Amino acid sequence: MPNSMQNDPHAMALVLSRVSARFLDEEERELYVLEDISLSVSAGSFVSVTGPSGAGKSTLMRVVLGLMPHESGTIVRNFSRPAMVFQNYALFPWLTALENAAFGLQMAGMPKKERERLALAKLKETGLAGFEGYYPGMLSGGQRQRVGLARALAISPDLLILDEPFSNLDTITAEALKADLMKIWRSYGITVLMVNHLIPDAVELSDQIIVMGARPGRVVKTLSVGLVRPRDARGSPFFKEVDLLTEAIRAVS
Amino acid sequence: MIRSVSHRETRAWHRAHRRRSRRAWAIMAAVVLLTTLLVALGYFSQVGWLALGDALLRTTYRLALSYGLALFLGVFIALLVGWSPFADALFPVFDILQNIPSFALIPLFIYFLGYTDQMIILFAVSSIVWPILFAILTAIKNAHKDLNDAATVYGATGFARVFHYLLPLSYPAILTGSIVGIAMGWESVIGAEIIAGTSGFGAFIKSAGESGVTPATIAGTFGILAIVFVVNRLIWAPLIAGSGKRYAE
Repeated sequence: MPNSMQNDPHAMALVLSRVSARFLDEEERELYVLEDISLSVSAGSFVSVTGPSGAGKSTLMRVVLGLMPHESGTIVRNFSRPAMVFQNYALFPWLTALENAAFGLQMAGMPKKERERLALAKLKETGLAGFEGYYPGMLSGGQRQRVGLARALAISPDLLILDEPFSNLDTITAEALKADLMKIWRSYGITVLMVNHLIPDAVELSDQIIVMGARPGRVVKTLSVGLVRPRDARGSPFFKEVDLLTEAIRAVS
Repeated sequence: MIRSVSHRETRAWHRAHRRRSRRAWAIMAAVVLLTTLLVALGYFSQVGWLALGDALLRTTYRLALSYGLALFLGVFIALLVGWSPFADALFPVFDILQNIPSFALIPLFIYFLGYTDQMIILFAVSSIVWPILFAILTAIKNAHKDLNDAATVYGATGFARVFHYLLPLSYPAILTGSIVGIAMGWESVIGAEIIAGTSGFGAFIKSAGESGVTPATIAGTFGILAIVFVVNRLIWAPLIAGSGKRYAE
């Protein structure tokens, strides 16, 4: 995908400066879910956000996408076509895999033939050739997540947000999806922001890892992963990085 | 091809659906047999079949018209409210309104519209609309947050959100709301016809009751049962089966 931003390694796809967000709980009490969040994400990089439960990782993604308002602070969004892959797939059950993959294109007003051709290509790319006529209810978890990924890729996103994409999948399916995700990230060159609570996954995939602390959610540490790609998830440098990150998370849990 | 657990669930659902369908056909066959037996025994000799047929047709026509209006109104209001940011505030208002017993409103309808077809139809609309409206509002309110977010992220805003997200999301709720609404509609149309006493099945059984012709009321009830059965089997059952298949999680 041609994108001038991605040609400049110093360009930032996203900058958050002292962003706070809150919501009212069921008893109308004000809860700060994010407090003074400052971070920046380089264009074309793969960034993981990790931390304990209740750290507001998913809320942060919703704030980044403008799905939830923030209370204070500044967000600079240098992207125009964000896409998201959801933990619970969030596929429309009344649409087939093909129609789901083409949904974003349909909303953008693309003619039916063209959008179906593109969506079909994305389904093939994500390993779902032959499943285009299936409804989400007829697909396994891994297949649904791939439809979600095809839907995201179909709109040629410049920012791809992945909200715990492997958490509902079995290990074998998750490994296969991870490998495909890496392939896609390399070939598309898009910025990826992934919420993930599995430390080895974050180390294996990311350029940068943002560790968040809980209640209220805040950034406690930002780590750069110095391992060369492709990464050997069985080597000692890999485990060193995992240990480092585990310690960082343990300290804030 | 990888087969998921949901295939087994879908097959189980279809088996249960076929069992229900067979039971419904058995009950209807028993009703038809009983009616034939009673006709053969001369129990219905005093029944004016043409008058009964005309009454049933009029009532069914009024119900169909009322349902059409209520469906349009219910879907329109529910989508408008579900689309707006005031949905949470309006929900309790509708809840209070729907709790007003519909027959308490009939004097008002008679005052403005007299003992007319319009009175019967609009009165029935006032009772059919609530289950449809609430079923849709509840479906929209209870939709998974991620599904809402997905619709927004992928550009379903404005009218596109209504037609490509809220309306299909509400489809199973429209079906269930319609089935409940029509059941209430029979009651309202027949009740209003009894009060108006001009035409339709309500007026027919009122007149039969006053003349002491009980077999006419029983024959009419069998007739209503037959209509309800045919409508259920030909319209609602296939629609619900299709929706169950498409909307399976």
